[in-house]
Amino acid sequence: MKRAFSILLVLTVLTVCAAACAEEYYHFEIVSKGFQATYWQAVQKGAREEADRLNREAGYEMITMNYTGPDSEADITQQVQQFTSALNANPSAIGFAAVDQNAFRDLLNDAISRKIPIVGFDSGVPGAPEGAVYANASTDNYAAGAVAADGMWQKIEKRIEQADGPVRIGEVNQDATGESVTRRGLGFIDRIIALAGEKDWKVFVTGNEYYVGNANGACAEESEAKIILEVRVPAQPTVELCANEAFVLLNKEDLIAVFGSNQPAAEGIISADDNLCVCGITDATVIAVGFDSGATLKAVIQMGIMYGAVTQSPVDIGRKTIDLLLACARGEPVEDVDTGCAFYTIENIDSEEIAQNLYD
Amino acid sequence: MKKTLIRSDAFQRLLLALVILAVYGFFYALSPAFRRYTTMAYICNNLYYILLIAIGVTFPLITGGTDLSMGTGLICYSLIGSWLMRICGWPLWTAMAATILMGVMIGTVNGFGIARLDIPPFIMTLGTMMFCRGMGSILTGGLSGTWPNYLEPGAGFRKAFRLILTTENGQRIPIPLGMVWMILILILMSFVLHHTRFGRYVISIGSNREALKLSGVNVVKWHILAYAVCGLFTGLAAVAYAGTFSNITPGEGAGFELNAIGAVIIGGTAMSGGSGSVFGTFLGVLLISVLQVGLPFIGLNADWQLLITGCILLGAVALDQIRGRKGA
Repeated sequence: MKRAFSILLVLTVLTVCAAACAEEYYHFEIVSKGFQATYWQAVQKGAREEADRLNREAGYEMITMNYTGPDSEADITQQVQQFTSALNANPSAIGFAAVDQNAFRDLLNDAISRKIPIVGFDSGVPGAPEGAVYANASTDNYAAGAVAADGMWQKIEKRIEQADGPVRIGEVNQDATGESVTRRGLGFIDRIIALAGEKDWKVFVTGNEYYVGNANGACAEESEAKIILEVRVPAQPTVELCANEAFVLLNKEDLIAVFGSNQPAAEGIISADDNLCVCGITDATVIAVGFDSGATLKAVIQMGIMYGAVTQSPVDIGRKTIDLLLACARGEPVEDVDTGCAFYTIENIDSEEIAQNLYD
Repeated sequence: MKKTLIRSDAFQRLLLALVILAVYGFFYALSPAFRRYTTMAYICNNLYYILLIAIGVTFPLITGGTDLSMGTGLICYSLIGSWLMRICGWPLWTAMAATILMGVMIGTVNGFGIARLDIPPFIMTLGTMMFCRGMGSILTGGLSGTWPNYLEPGAGFRKAFRLILTTENGQRIPIPLGMVWMILILILMSFVLHHTRFGRYVISIGSNREALKLSGVNVVKWHILAYAVCGLFTGLAAVAYAGTFSNITPGEGAGFELNAIGAVIIGGTAMSGGSGSVFGTFLGVLLISVLQVGLPFIGLNADWQLLITGCILLGAVALDQIRGRKGA
């Protein structure tokens, strides 16, 4: 009897040990671009929801994570410190959206040597050394810029056709260095040039040197152009300074449309328009198109001040980032995930497809 | 006679007004888009919060001190106001009062540390600057905050600063209503500085604190009050900022105080304390705002605004030295 009890006890202990050993524990460090725009808050929400879901499914706290980001997208030094801390925490994997293309090269090489997988999200980690970034969960920003151009074009094509002289389209980009904003900005410019080309109209691109130099197919002389596309970039990526640049554009008599390539740029346009009241959805007004969402953008679209905007799926980006981090940590093969985008106006802002991707 | 004119505060303000006119004329001549009425309205709308903190910091500067906590404080109080409304469910007006009260509290703490504990103003306000930056982020979990905007109930408070009239044919006309309040505040604070006991004591603390103390005045009390007034105006600026930009981002605000202090010095307040004027401060802020709005019109960005403002600031301080204020 004693012997049988001992065997049973040993078997029980072994079973419990085996069950405990089978449990997986993963710790993820996520370094985002910050929390400034509600867009980033939505990414964080998606990541937390997905981690909670996976933990519920597992029945124990399989995933723990530490989510950080700098105070502003201009705080490169702060993000370098946060990424260094993330590496030192020796996590199962790191999710990363870099604010600068060059500042992290040494740290990323360190991650390779320590075999810590990195998953890029949103703009990801452009220019990373080969082998550092396993996969990205992001919107195809170049295509998203083109979506904004298509949405705007349907509203302004006739006005351009009927205009006596050249017309001006403005673009406010918060910077000329971040991967997501530059790709988006160039996607918009190239698509406008392509759409104009279908009508044999020429486009002259002026303003910020980076965008002028990287635009494809623009004409060399302003005098030849039917459309002047003016790109403005503030000294710092703040709504206040984006508003100053937008104000200059909105003050120009020949401006018929303007695009703000992210939430601060779009809110800057709205803030500038508060003083000018030239934006709207009629042919006599400037057609403003924004990017992302937020309480302000949603309100001005519903009020008919801003024509429309492109929304990404920030919550989905957060979710997919966690899925990719988990796959990397388990050693499973991973590949880039395009989380998509859509153009919305007052017409479809309440539709199920759009509403689920909008946030305050 | 000539010597007296050059040494007078009025001369420096007149010179500054001429510089503003010249800068405005420069942009006016070079950019047709700058000539619109709306540009002037935009300049007005953009200067409210900087003007309010500049009026506030005029008082500590006249006492010979400074306040570095205004920029991060402004954002911190705005974030707290947003947090009280969104998370705690406070009504707009109560949250607004709490926002202003926070400014008064931090200002009073600054004043107590400086006047009672003899902590150097730079160190004391550097500490509260860091405190404010941290507190705003901690309270909101690092997330940005929002005040009522456009369609939300309570968004009407924005109209106190920026009124938009809609005509029958749907045309919208912006009115920079906030400028009316700013002018009233300027008149009130100018009166307070030059015609009240508080104002006279503030100037005396800056020019000869010991003499004032020996004459039986409770110097510590009035010195603390000067910083409390500065805090009050930072709180008001926090509300004005929320009225201009409904989204409040933690981490922003650092640097606002330097713009404000720069404007006060350009406006003729002596760094060593003992003299200054609220209207001079207004002119200093106006110059910075005209530069900030005007430079993009001629293709130059905000970096140039900093560079040019720095040169004007050095010029103003040099002029102050030449005038030999102390030796006069």
